[in-house]
Amino acid sequence: MKFGKRLKQHVEETLPGWRDMYLNYKDLKKLVRLISSSLEYGKSEAEFVYLLNNEIDKFNVFFMEQEEDFIIRHKELQQRIKRVNESEPSSQEEYEEEMARIRKDIVDFHGEMVLLVNYSNINYTGMAKILKKYDKRTGGLLRLPFIQKVLEQPFFTTELVSKLVKECETIIDELFPTTVVAVEMKEAAITMVGEGIFKNTVAALMTMKEIRKGSSTQSHFSLPALSLPDTELIRSFQLNSPIPTI
Amino acid sequence: MSSANRTVGHIVSSSSGISSNLLHMSSISSDETCSKRASFVTQSSGILRSTAFREYMKENNTSSWCTDSLSDFLDYAENSPVQSSNLQIMSSEDVGKPNDWQDWADQLIADDDGASPNWNEILVDTPVADQHPKMEYYVRKPSKTTLSLPLNTPVPASPGEACTPMTPSSCGSGSQSKPRMRWTPELHEVFMEAVNKLGGSESATPKGVLKLMKVEGLTIYHVKSHLQKYRTAKYKPESSSQGPSEKKPTLMQDLPPLDFKTSSEITEALRLQVEVQKKLHEQLEIQKNLQRRIEEQGRYLQMIFEKQCKFQPSSSTLDKSETELTNEISSSPNQSETEPGPIKLGLTSSEKQQEADYSESQPSKLAKLNESSSLEL
Repeated sequence: MKFGKRLKQHVEETLPGWRDMYLNYKDLKKLVRLISSSLEYGKSEAEFVYLLNNEIDKFNVFFMEQEEDFIIRHKELQQRIKRVNESEPSSQEEYEEEMARIRKDIVDFHGEMVLLVNYSNINYTGMAKILKKYDKRTGGLLRLPFIQKVLEQPFFTTELVSKLVKECETIIDELFPTTVVAVEMKEAAITMVGEGIFKNTVAALMTMKEIRKGSSTQSHFSLPALSLPDTELIRSFQLNSPIPTI
Repeated sequence: MSSANRTVGHIVSSSSGISSNLLHMSSISSDETCSKRASFVTQSSGILRSTAFREYMKENNTSSWCTDSLSDFLDYAENSPVQSSNLQIMSSEDVGKPNDWQDWADQLIADDDGASPNWNEILVDTPVADQHPKMEYYVRKPSKTTLSLPLNTPVPASPGEACTPMTPSSCGSGSQSKPRMRWTPELHEVFMEAVNKLGGSESATPKGVLKLMKVEGLTIYHVKSHLQKYRTAKYKPESSSQGPSEKKPTLMQDLPPLDFKTSSEITEALRLQVEVQKKLHEQLEIQKNLQRRIEEQGRYLQMIFEKQCKFQPSSSTLDKSETELTNEISSSPNQSETEPGPIKLGLTSSEKQQEADYSESQPSKLAKLNESSSLEL
C-alpha cells in the first residue's frame, strides 16, 4: 500500500484543479483483488482493461489540455517580456516591479510545467504497478503488452512540455542576474516556500524519492532508488514552511 | 506476443461533461455513459454472474461507476441468458450492435459545424494494413482464450496530411463529443498569425481564423476552444490555467510578513525555487527514460525467448542456464530495428548512477524470465 499512500498524499497536496485527474489506484487495486478471487477472471479481464483505458483517456485529455495552455502561456510570457523591455518605462521603479512580477510568474509557470511532467510520471508508475499486481494475482499476461501501449500515449510522451521547460529555463537565466548569494539570503529564501507552486514542486520531489525507496517486491522491472544529494536541504523546505500543510 | 495488432480509427473525444473517473460521474451525461458501459458489461457475462462482484458494487455505492443503471443491468443480465463467451465489445464486423454506438458516431460527425471532416486525414500517420475508416469507438480482437490481450493502436492517416504536426490523440474510450487534438507551438504560431491578420484576439472569429489557417483536418471546434484559451491568457496573464477557485496569488500576497523582504531576497527565493524545479524535472526525465528502457528490454527478452521456444519446443529450452541465454542474446545476429536490445545512450552522471543501480539487478532477470516463461508454457 506504500505507493497507494504516497499517491493519496500527493493528490491531497497537489493543485486543486488536478486532484480528480490522477489514477484511481485504490479502486483498481480492489478490483484486481476481486477478480483474482472470482472464477471467471478471463472475462473480467476485459472489464479491467476497459477501466484502464478509461483512465488513460482521462490522463490524455487532461494532459493535452494543460499542454495546450502551456503553449499559449509560454508565448504570452515571451511577448510580455518583450513588451516591457521595448516600451518606454514610466519609471525605473515601475519597470523593476513589472520585472519582479514577470520573474515570479515565469518561475511559477516553469514549476507548473514540471508538475505536469510529474503528473504524467506518477500515473505511469501507478499503471505499471497495477498491471504488475494484476499479472501476479491472476497469472495473466496483461502487463507487458499493455504497458507498451501506455508508453505511446500522449500523456506519457512529454517531450514537448520538457522542451518548453528547457526554453523557460533559458529565459529565466536571462532574467535573473547572476550574483553571489550570501548565506543569510539563502535562509531567508527557505522560509518563503509558502503556498505557491514552490511547495508543490518540493513535495513532488520528496514524493518521488519516497516512492522509489526499496520495496519488498523489487524486481528486474523496478526502478532503482532515487539518490538526491540535496535531500536534506529540500526536506528542510517542507519543515521550515511557516504555513501548515492543509 | 501476437503480431496482429488490430488498428482502427478512433478519435478521443473530450467533453467536460463526461468524466470517466471512477469516483464520480458527471450528471450531464452519466446516464448515457452508464448505459454504454452497462451494455458493455452485459456482454461479459462472467463478471456479472459472479455474486461477489455484485456484492462489491453494492457495498461501494459511492465509489462505483454508475450504481443505479448498472444494478438494473445486473438484474437484467442475470435473468436473461447470456450467450457467448465471446468478448466482443465491438468489432468492425459487428456494427449491428447497440444503437448507442451508431448514435455516437453520428453525433461525432454531426457536431462538426458542417466542416465535414475527412476522418482519414486527421488520423495518426502510422502505417498499417487495415485501413478501416469506420467511426468505431473501441475495437478489440475477439478473444479466443481467456488470457488474450486486447490491443489498441492508432490508425494511419492518409498520406496527404498537412505538414503542420497535428496529431489527435487515440485510444478512444470515454466520451463522445468532439475529437481532441494535440496542439504544437508551430500550429499555435500559425494560429496567432491568422488572429493578428484579423485584427487581434477580440475581433477575430473562429470561422475566420479557421479559414486563414488552412490546416487540413482542423475543425472550427478546435479553433473555437483554442481561441477561448488564448483570450483568457491575454486578459489575465499567468492566471488562466488555474480554476476560478484558485486565484494565482500576486507577488505581494504570496509572502508572509513581507515588509522586511527585500526584492533581492525575493529574487533569491525564486532562484532557489527554480533550482528545485530543475532538479525535479531532471529526475523525472531520467526516470522516464529508465522506465522506457526497462520495458524495451523486457520486450526484447520476451521476443528472444519466444524465438528460442519456437526453434526448440522441447523442454530443453527451459533448462538453459542463464549464461547460455545471455550468450545467445548477445551474439544474436538479427538485431533489426524492432529489437532494441540493451541500448547505451549518452548519459549524464546521475543517469549513469541510476543505470548502474538498475543494471545490478539484471543478472537475475534472465533467471526470472526463465521461471515465468516455464509457468506460461
